[in-house]
This record gives sequence, structure tokens and C-alpha cells, in this order.
Amino acid sequence: MTTIPPADPTPPATDPSGPQHAPSPLPPLAVERVLGRVRKPGRYAGGEWNSVQKDWASVALKWCFAYPDLYEIGMSNLGLRILYEVLNDRPDRLAERCFAPDVDLQAQLRSARLPLWSLETRRALRDFDVLGVSLGYELTYTNLLDMLDLGGVPLTTEERTEADPLVIAGGSSVLNPEPIADSLDAVLLGEGEEAVLEISDALERMGWPRRLGPAGEWRRGVARADALMALANIPGVYVPSLYRPHYNSDGTFARLEALAAEAPPQIIGRIAADFETEVHGIRQLVPNIAIVFDRAQLEVMRGCTRGCRFCQAGINYRPLRERAPDVAVAAAQSILKSTGYEEIGLTSLSTADYTYVNEVATTLHRLRPQATVSLPSTRVDAFTVELVDAIVLNGRRGGFTFAPEAGSQRLRDVINKGVSDEEIARCAELAFRRGWSALKLYFMIGLPGETMDDVLAIADICRRVLQVGRQYHGGKAQVKANVSTFVPKVATPFMWSGQDTTAEIEAKVAALRKAMRGGGLDLRWSEPRSSILEAALGRGDRRLNAVVRRAWRKGARFDGWDEHFSYERWQAAFEEEGLDPAWYAQRDIPLNEALPWDHLSCGVTREFLARDYRRALSGKSAADCHWGPCYNCGVPAATGFECQTGEQGPRALLVRPETGETEPGDGVAAETRMGRWRYVGPPGDPRRQGAVDGAAERGNGAAERGNGAAERGNGAAERAGPEAAAISWPYNLMGTKVQSKSAGLSGLASLVEAAGGESTG
Amino acid sequence: MSESKQRWRIVFARDDDARFLSHLDAIHLWERAFRRGEIPVATSEGFSPRPRLVFAAPLPLGMLAEHEFADLFLAERLTRSDLRTRLADGMPRGYRLIDLRDEWVGGPAVATRLVAADYRMTLLGVAADPLEDAARRLLAATALRREKRREKKVTAYDLRPLLLDLQVRPPDATAGAMAAPDLAAAGLWMRLRHSQELGSGRADEVVAAVADELGLTTIAPPGSGEAGAEEEAEPGRSIEPLPGQPTLEIVRPVRERLWLSDELAL
Repeated sequence: MTTIPPADPTPPATDPSGPQHAPSPLPPLAVERVLGRVRKPGRYAGGEWNSVQKDWASVALKWCFAYPDLYEIGMSNLGLRILYEVLNDRPDRLAERCFAPDVDLQAQLRSARLPLWSLETRRALRDFDVLGVSLGYELTYTNLLDMLDLGGVPLTTEERTEADPLVIAGGSSVLNPEPIADSLDAVLLGEGEEAVLEISDALERMGWPRRLGPAGEWRRGVARADALMALANIPGVYVPSLYRPHYNSDGTFARLEALAAEAPPQIIGRIAADFETEVHGIRQLVPNIAIVFDRAQLEVMRGCTRGCRFCQAGINYRPLRERAPDVAVAAAQSILKSTGYEEIGLTSLSTADYTYVNEVATTLHRLRPQATVSLPSTRVDAFTVELVDAIVLNGRRGGFTFAPEAGSQRLRDVINKGVSDEEIARCAELAFRRGWSALKLYFMIGLPGETMDDVLAIADICRRVLQVGRQYHGGKAQVKANVSTFVPKVATPFMWSGQDTTAEIEAKVAALRKAMRGGGLDLRWSEPRSSILEAALGRGDRRLNAVVRRAWRKGARFDGWDEHFSYERWQAAFEEEGLDPAWYAQRDIPLNEALPWDHLSCGVTREFLARDYRRALSGKSAADCHWGPCYNCGVPAATGFECQTGEQGPRALLVRPETGETEPGDGVAAETRMGRWRYVGPPGDPRRQGAVDGAAERGNGAAERGNGAAERGNGAAERAGPEAAAISWPYNLMGTKVQSKSAGLSGLASLVEAAGGESTG
Repeated sequence: MSESKQRWRIVFARDDDARFLSHLDAIHLWERAFRRGEIPVATSEGFSPRPRLVFAAPLPLGMLAEHEFADLFLAERLTRSDLRTRLADGMPRGYRLIDLRDEWVGGPAVATRLVAADYRMTLLGVAADPLEDAARRLLAATALRREKRREKKVTAYDLRPLLLDLQVRPPDATAGAMAAPDLAAAGLWMRLRHSQELGSGRADEVVAAVADELGLTTIAPPGSGEAGAEEEAEPGRSIEPLPGQPTLEIVRPVRERLWLSDELAL
């Protein structure tokens, strides 16, 4: 009788050369034996509904999306679901998936000497033509290195050859990818729906897809360097290796030198066209095992004009765009049908601000009474009785959470979170009255200009909310305050502001703990030292690449998880490179200093950010530019997208022809008794002229590409006169002299009984 | 609650794509499949009504299956071909429909009619001959004392009356290819009793008894333990054997078929 050969002694996790690799696709039994030894093997097995398996021989260019976090988190990401569908809808493209393996599988793969595989066809990551990696969170950078290493891909662009895939990053952290730039061949700034196809087409034209040569070696028709050069010519694509940074003697960043003529001095993020009428991500992946956001998702609005000064997403996804309501309803129905989910989240940065939120939610409820509609992020001041009724009619679950972010009115003005104590109290009252007995409130400490009084005001507002709760629930009422440390994010007005020191944060937390004593109040705070790392990596430069690799070699993984995070490990990595995390995280950067990420932009100018920072420091808030004045953020000039701020906002780009145009059997549009909306593009756009002239379908055809109801809309659009653009609903409720959305909402007194909800921030 | 107008017994198989599902995950998967196919499933009573789908026996995580039963109650009558089409529209990947049987709505629960189940699997780390000996010794034994662990409570029970048959067979083809030359492999087939009084025999318990006979430590595939239980390892309990310990590893466990009382006389 023989026994299993003893596994080779586990190569140390710090082995930079990575494991030996078995041939690919992986032998099923080898995979099975590894999966037999890990927790939750369903994470790594694939086979999900709406996942796509293609024949490799029939496809020219093969992508694998590598998401540097656990399956449960990555599969919840709507961007992944969208891009996966966009690529796989093309018969000549293929996209597979891979998520960060948990620590148990990492160890198993290394001891079994197996490469990390894609879920669909179980091939090693190195066998793909392109790896699309998601950079959403700085504390996943070590996971990314680990995935590359386990997948058999050299860690840095310098070490890679024509046999290796191109590593292209996208996501919300790409406005400063410098600390991980050595590992990225290219970075796509902004929205990927169109760019991902442009990149694919460019690569195929050049001959990047690889083929097996006569001697069994991998070949590509183009050299890696030439491929990168070509990618640099695609708008929105940044190729880090075409630049070299220079530093001053005091350690500050001096400038970035372009090494090739093809390297543009400034890269501006992409904006997908026709968000209003085109919906990607209908056949969404449905996981086999439970994930974090286990529901269908429909993005109803992109961008946010509230202007919270700490919020990167609010800057990054400008300009504000809204889905036409009939398009949203039709898409939501298709998504529910194609996934089998019974819950759909209407997602955006602040869904209660979506003009048609009530219309869409109530229509969906009528058409599919058994389905649950949820709103993941809702602002305190936009939460209305109507909304509560539309949303929680059938399926109130979990807690009720909202985010005042700061305790005092003064500090909320500084960060431009324009909600008042009264609004918070009213929102709480609404929630308590509707049956919730415990509320969770999110706050940040360490905000710019914060004093101890501001910190203690957190306790005051919590007590005030608790008192409201006691009127309804007596001693059962509970208020939980969740306090995190402020992290300055690049591309926000607060990017220049340093973080508090750990000692300052600890003193503030101690004082707050003391002030929060008493029944019904609960205080939680997050590990402040991981916030230092997040800020240091967020505001870092290219010197940090070596630090990240060192930390990874020392065993850093899943740094966002308290049970895996070790600050000491990171501190050692910084020290060995002669760098200091506090210098990166806690320094107030002078406004005139050059920044390592100055060359990357989502269209919002540095001048605007600096102006807004000065406004913040003098305690002045800024109105929501959707309704109020234009603050000249720079997006229109950079992207060609014309915002109409003030009275109507960007939604003037949606025109609703006269209503009552429903035809028998016209599907959703008829059922919902809505006129059919059309996106007619920014003013001056030929499509707009076309729609108004009644020649929409003779236009460039962009509007016709919309799915579902939008396609059926052209008849009515033809009949739309110029007056259709000047629609009154819902703006007649707002009045014409509205200076800010908050003011507009107070004008809606009859609708706004209370305010509440959750904010992303 | 909606009234059940019809009861269909779904006979199905589970392949690799759906292998690593817990019982709870599998239930959610089927519920979504019914919604995709727009099948009018009757709902259960209670505060949060659930679709009425009743499995004969939960499939452990990791286990493949070739002949399982689940009873589906409908709120509206459907023809066999209509149901077949709708199921095909939304059928979860990794599940295969084998048959649909029209059953009396008021009949006893399918689980109460279950009498036996057949299993086969490949064992790595043992050759056919010693396995043959061990199987013979187990079948010859009059009693097999084993321990059942539920949370912290440990109860002793006798596995022998639940073990109806145990045979050595050739290993699974894919496993066999992997095995040679330095890794022995053999196939094991067993029939286990499902009894209302004595409980249900568990395949991994039989393999553990085999391993004890051979002086080996088993590495069980995930979920071959408690059916439907979460696959989490208990904290502090390592799935890995100690280094240098000879092991017996179960791969490709298959539940070949479930037997109902009118199909198999014991």
C-alpha cells in the first residue's frame, strides 16, 4: 500500500518567484483535492447562473477579471457584472473571473504547486491575454500581488514578457494608482463599458492575442512595448511605464517625466455615453453561495452633485446622469427575470436623489408585487414617507443606517454634508415610527478643522436621536454610533489635508467613549492604524511600490480585515525602504506642491478642488450644483459633457413626449402609462436636434441602441416638439428660484415629512 | 400560504457545477430557478412564506448525485411538458432533470419514504487488496461503535445495522489516471440504510471506519460530514492531517441513488 506523496515543504510565502506551475487547464482531480481542504470551496468552483464558458479556440482575445478580494465581495460588485456581460456578449471575446483566494487556499495552492485558476475554464491566470484587475480599495494591493504570483504572472511590468498577460487596472482607486503602478501595464481611468471593447479591439488588431508557436512556445504578433504604446493612445488609458517620477531633496514629489512622445501629459477618465437609455449588465451573474450583496442590481443614477468634500466617488463619477424611468423599469424587470432574484437594489451614490425614484419603485412594485425593491444608499435629507412606503412595503430587513458623518452642524458645513440636526432628528423619528427600534449612525473623526467640541457633538446628536426613539420604543430604543477615522482621498477637496496622529485619534475616541456612556447608546470604532495605511497608500507615490512588495513578502494579505492586518509588518516594510507612513498620511500638503497624481484626472480640475478646500477651511458650505450655481468643477470642459445646472439640471437631456401615447401591447411603456422618455444628448448634440426635429432614428443611431422600452420609443419621440424638452414635472414643485437641492426639498414640504437614510460617503 | 394543487416528484442528478453547494445554497438556487421559469410554486405557511420544495435527503456539500428526489408543490396545475419546459428555462447549472412523477398532493413526505442510499467514491492512499480486507472485516463485525458529534454533545451509536453492503470497485477514471504510480487508489461502493428509528447511515462514517481498520487518517471532502451544515471547519480543528501521517483521501464521492420504500425491499 502506498500513501500520498508527502507535499513538498511549503515554499515560504515570501518566495518572490512563485510556485512551479502545472500545465493548464488544471487537472480536475488536482483541483478537487485542493478544494477538499479549504473552507467554502463554492467560492472557487464556478458554475454560476449566467456565467459564460467559451471554447478557447473560437475566441481571439481572452480576458480574466481578477478581483483582489474574496468571492463574496467581488461578486457583489456591479462593475464586474457589467463588464463581464459586455465582453462576453461579443462572440470573439471572452471574459472569465478569478477572486482572491482566502489564506487557506493560498497555502494549499503553494504546497500543491498549483496555479490560481479562473472559475470558468480553470486555467492559470498567466494563460490569459489580459488580466483586468479592480483597484477599489488600497488595502487590497497585497492581495493583487498575491494573485499575480499565484497565477504565474510576474509581479512587475518590467519583468513580464510577451508570454505574460497585460495587466490592466480599473476601478475607483485609479485616480492614484502610483503606489502599485509597477505592477500595472495600463490603467483605465473612468467608466469601462465602451473602453473595454476599444482596448480589446486595439489589442487584437495589433496581434496581442497569443498563439502557440511551432516549437510549442507562446507567441504574440506584437512586442509588449509596442502594445503598451498603442494602449497609451486610447483616451483614458494610462501606461505607467511610459513615465518616470522625480523627487526633490526633501522627499516631496517634483515632476513626472514622459519617456515617450505617445505618453500624454494628462489622462482624463472616460465617460460612457448614453447611460440614460442603455443598460448593460442584464444577465447578471448569480452566485451559488451567499455573498455580501446577494441581490440583483440596477444602477439608476451615476454621479452625485451633493459635493461632500471627503467623498471621492462624488467627484469621480461626474457628471450626474439619470436613467430614463421607463428604461429603468424595463431593465429591472429583465434583470429580475434573467437572474431569478427576488430582490433588486436600485443603486447609485444617493438613490433618493434620483428624480424618478418613487415612480420607478412604485411601478416595479405594481408590476412585480412579489419582488423586493431596495435602496442601498439614501441620504438623510432625501428620505420621505413616500419613499419608505415604496421601498419597505414588502421586506423590511436588517437595521436602519444613516450617515451624518460629523457631530456638529459647524463641521458638517465644513465637509459640506448639508444636513441639519433637525433633519437628522426627523429622519430618526420617521424610522422609529415605522418600526425600527435600533438605528445605526455613521460618523468620521479626524476631519479637517475638527475640534474636541465637534467630536463630543457626536454624543449629543446620538442622545437626541435616542430620546426620539424612546418616545416610540421606550427602553428598547437603541442608537449605535459607528466611528471611523477620516482618510483623505485624492481628487477630493480634502486631499491636501493630513490625517490626525494616532495619539490624537485615541484621545478623541477616549473622550467620546466617556461621553457616550449610558443605556441605549453603543459606540464602535475601527482600527485607526489601518486608516493610516489607507491614507498613505491613497496619497502615495511610486516609491511605495517597493514597500507594498516588501509587506507582501512579509506575509501581508487582506489588510482591510482586522484579523489579518499587522501594522508592525507594514511599518517595518516602510522603514526598510527609508520611508515613513506618517509622512504620507498625516502631512498637510501645501496647496502649491506638485502631486504624484496630478497627471490623472476625472475631469474635475485641481483649481476647483483647491477653491473648495479653501471654502471648507473658512467653514463655508457649497450648494448642490444640480440645482444651485455652477462651481466650475471642470468636467464639461474636460469631457465635452455639458451640464445644465441651476433650474433643471442634467435631466433636461431626457425628454418626455406628450403622455397618453401608449399603444396596445406596447409592453412596459403601456403598462406603466408613462410617455416614453428619450435621451437626446447634451445641448448642441446632433442627437438632440434630431429628436426635436422628429428625426431621431435618422440620427447617428445611438439612441436606438437602448434596450427594451427605449427602442420602442422612437415613434413617440418623433412627435415630440421642442416644448417637450421644457417639461415641467417635477420641476414645477421645486420652483424656479431654487438655490440648492436642500432648499428645493424644503419647498416640497408636503412630500418631505421627514428625512433619513443611508449615505455612502 | 397558497393551496397546493399539484405535487411533482422531481428526479434529478447533480454534476460538478453544483457540487460545492450547501443544502441551504441549493434551496436558494432552486427557488431562483423556479422564478426564472415562472413556475407557480405553492408557498408554505408561516410569517415568511417559502416556496414548497421538499427534498428527500439533503445532499452534503461536495457530493455528486445521480438519482435524487425533491417534491415540488404547485399552486396551479401544469402539464408535464409545460413544467419540463419551464424547468429547463431556469434549471440551475449543474443540475440535470431525469424524470417528473405526478404524485398525490396529500401523500406522506418523501423523506419518510426513504429507505436506503447507494454511494460510490474513490479512495486515494489505499490499494484494492487491503481495502478488500478491511471491507470484509467491517461486514463481518456484529457491531461498529462510532461517535456522533452534534455541537459539543457526543453520542455513541452502532453503525453496523445501517451498513447494508460494502464493495470494492475500480476507482473513478479521472482519479485512476492521477493515482499511478506513487499514489494508490481504489473504488468503494456501499448501500446505507435510511431508517426512521435508527437514523441514516453516513458514507464518511463508513470511510472513517475503514480508515480505522487500516490505521489511516481520513481527509474527507468538504461537507461529507453533516448534511446541510455549513462547511466551516470548527475553529481550532485542522482539516489537514499532521505531517507524515498516512492518510486516506476521499475524492469524487457520488450518491448513486436514493431508494424509496416501494422501490427496494429490505
